[in-house]
Amino acid sequence: MSVALTAHPRDLSIPAPPRAWRNILTIAGRELRDAVRSRWFILYTLAFAVLGLAVSFVSAAGTGGTGLSGFGRTTAGLINLVLLVVPLMALTAGASSIASERERGMLAYLFAQPVSRTEVLAGKYAGLAGALAACLMLGLGVCAAILAWKGVAARPASVLWLAALSLLLALGMLSLGMLLSVLSRRASVALGAAVFVWLALVLVSDLALMAGVVALRLRIEELFALSLMNPLQVFKMWSLHAVDATLDVLGPAGLYAADEHGPRLHLIFGVCLFAWVVIPLAAAAVLLARRSPV
Amino acid sequence: MKAVQALVLSLLQASLMAVTSASGAVPPDHARKTDDHAPPAASRAIQNTPGSGLISRLIREASEGDTIVVPSGLHREHLRIDKTIILDGGGRAIIDGGGSGDIVEITAPGVTLRGFTIRNTGIDLDAENAAVRAVAPRVVIEDNMFSDILFGIDLRESPDSVVRRNIIGGKSLDTARRGDGLRLWRCDRTVIEDNIIHDGRDAILWYSTGVVIRRNTGRDCRYGLHLMFSDDVVIDDNEFSGNSVGIYLMYSTGIEIRRNRLVRNRGPSGYGIGLKESDRFVISDNVIAANRAGLYIDGSPFTTRAPGVIRRNSIAFNDVGVMFLPSARGNELTENNFIDNIDQVRVAGRGSLEANRFWSGERGNFWTDYTGYDADHNGVGDFVHEPSTLFENLMDREPSMRLFLFSPAQQAIEFVGRAFPSICPEPKFSDEVPLMRPVAIETSAATRQASPGPLAAAAALLLAVGGGITAAARAGPSTCRRDQSAIGSSLGAIP
Repeated sequence: MSVALTAHPRDLSIPAPPRAWRNILTIAGRELRDAVRSRWFILYTLAFAVLGLAVSFVSAAGTGGTGLSGFGRTTAGLINLVLLVVPLMALTAGASSIASERERGMLAYLFAQPVSRTEVLAGKYAGLAGALAACLMLGLGVCAAILAWKGVAARPASVLWLAALSLLLALGMLSLGMLLSVLSRRASVALGAAVFVWLALVLVSDLALMAGVVALRLRIEELFALSLMNPLQVFKMWSLHAVDATLDVLGPAGLYAADEHGPRLHLIFGVCLFAWVVIPLAAAAVLLARRSPV
Repeated sequence: MKAVQALVLSLLQASLMAVTSASGAVPPDHARKTDDHAPPAASRAIQNTPGSGLISRLIREASEGDTIVVPSGLHREHLRIDKTIILDGGGRAIIDGGGSGDIVEITAPGVTLRGFTIRNTGIDLDAENAAVRAVAPRVVIEDNMFSDILFGIDLRESPDSVVRRNIIGGKSLDTARRGDGLRLWRCDRTVIEDNIIHDGRDAILWYSTGVVIRRNTGRDCRYGLHLMFSDDVVIDDNEFSGNSVGIYLMYSTGIEIRRNRLVRNRGPSGYGIGLKESDRFVISDNVIAANRAGLYIDGSPFTTRAPGVIRRNSIAFNDVGVMFLPSARGNELTENNFIDNIDQVRVAGRGSLEANRFWSGERGNFWTDYTGYDADHNGVGDFVHEPSTLFENLMDREPSMRLFLFSPAQQAIEFVGRAFPSICPEPKFSDEVPLMRPVAIETSAATRQASPGPLAAAAALLLAVGGGITAAARAGPSTCRRDQSAIGSSLGAIP
């Protein structure tokens, strides 16, 4: 982390990193505590768990007691749920963080303390990430418990993959949300922008790509490359690849991806999704250092 | 002589390719008329000369009708059985072909070959190196174990034979370089039961009528079972999994396929059961799951003599439940469970299913995507099941749209389709009496029920992580949000 570099490199008697880390931890702990006690966290956790429960129950009923299972409605439904809810959750959480502190004058106060702005950002990010992780794990854990109880033979590895990938997606969207938050002067603006970005990622970009397929006759390699730019599509393709190990479900573009990239697919998806964690957060750090805290 | 043989072989191979390629390039009638089809070339060229090995000597010394019990241990030899005898390896005799040629050739009728381990044939596809090749009727091959073989059991004009309780494992070669685990060429009334065939090319029947195939397992082959021009065959209680295609019927008539399990057949074509220009078939009580396409129906039934009966099957979790080519007509699908296939029914290309029926009398099928209800509790939905979604229609027209499956954009498009019925496509088919509950199907092949333990453990792990974070955060010292000095004092105090 670049955070360590901002401390005092000359001071050898007291190693510099621990203090930066301690600052980050302090802020993260406080952020996490506030988040876990806030209404949005409880609301989102409940909503996610309840929706997940509904999906699990419906799909358990769908197998009709035949004892069969496979890539069907359960996995698809859970992926769909994550695609809809998790980005919204993470984007709004990130968007309201810095902007609302700024609005209340808290940011100026924090910056007056002997801590770097990057440390503040990193701390807030870590705290919110922890809260999101708790929310996701609780929600998916409840779903998995229901599936196990109803005797649906879902593979545990699939559930763990889905949890890990959802977390990575949440981290990326949180990062993007914080960038929006740093850019906005007021919390309401940041929230509005977050919802707009969410809509763009969830619906608009896919619909635009579909239009592209029909109108521009995109070749499948172009289509695949373009879809890699949307973190939600990357998440979806990666979870399908990890859960089912075949992308041919996704038609020609999926077949192309599997044939052309095969074993490298995990790496490609990983890099794409990880870029959404790192790049917006780095941009937010740079911008926060330049901007006035009020 | 050699050149002639090679020519015959290449011609044969070419015709085999043409017929199996499923391209429909060869009109079946034309193919059926050729009654003078030459038997595979190698049958004219029995290669093994009676050797000097122990078993060969025992055979030479035996007289017709004898039972020879072969001592246990390793026998490196190639055999020709030219007397009607019972050759019994007692389960402990091993015949090793040393990686060349065929291993056992049966030229006398009524031979029984029992209780051997037979291994290590050559890998010459042109010569069709086989572990056992029979060219005489009424052969019984039972309780043998075949490993590392190119062709397993190759019966040529051996009617009334029995192949029972063998385990046939091919060489680990590319599919294109493998041989058939089991091949019947004009072997009428043969019984094939309780065998396990794995890692081969096909188990294939050519021109064999009245064959019974039951309780076999075929896995990791190209075609688990392949019928070419073979009529009146009964296929019961088998399991075909992990093959490219589970069962493929081509140009065959009078076939019954009952109580089989067809699972995860996902090769380049990837069908649970494929039907190409076949006729008078009954497909009932099968479990067809997780294949690329559960059923693939191409030009079947071929005539209008009888409907294609597809009844009481569970068709679940396939990419496509039943795929019709537009030419398919005259099928009757009733009392099947269509469970969570990504496309339940699909017409490849554009076309309608008008000439096929999805209900009969008071019984339709069970559909997991049925959205109606049953107010009068008669077990039948009160509304017609007429699935038509805008997105499926888009996918049929523009296959690369499948990339957007499972995304919210897909649901948005389907919502638009429901909200504005005028832009929704015509339904592909209708089921007037959709069933509200799945039909109970008894497959004799065991249904493996995964234990919920590992999944419960995963759930516990996730709950522990989530709950742990929450609990740790909640247990921390209480800070009021406006108590700014609290955080100030804990930050970066310079020592």
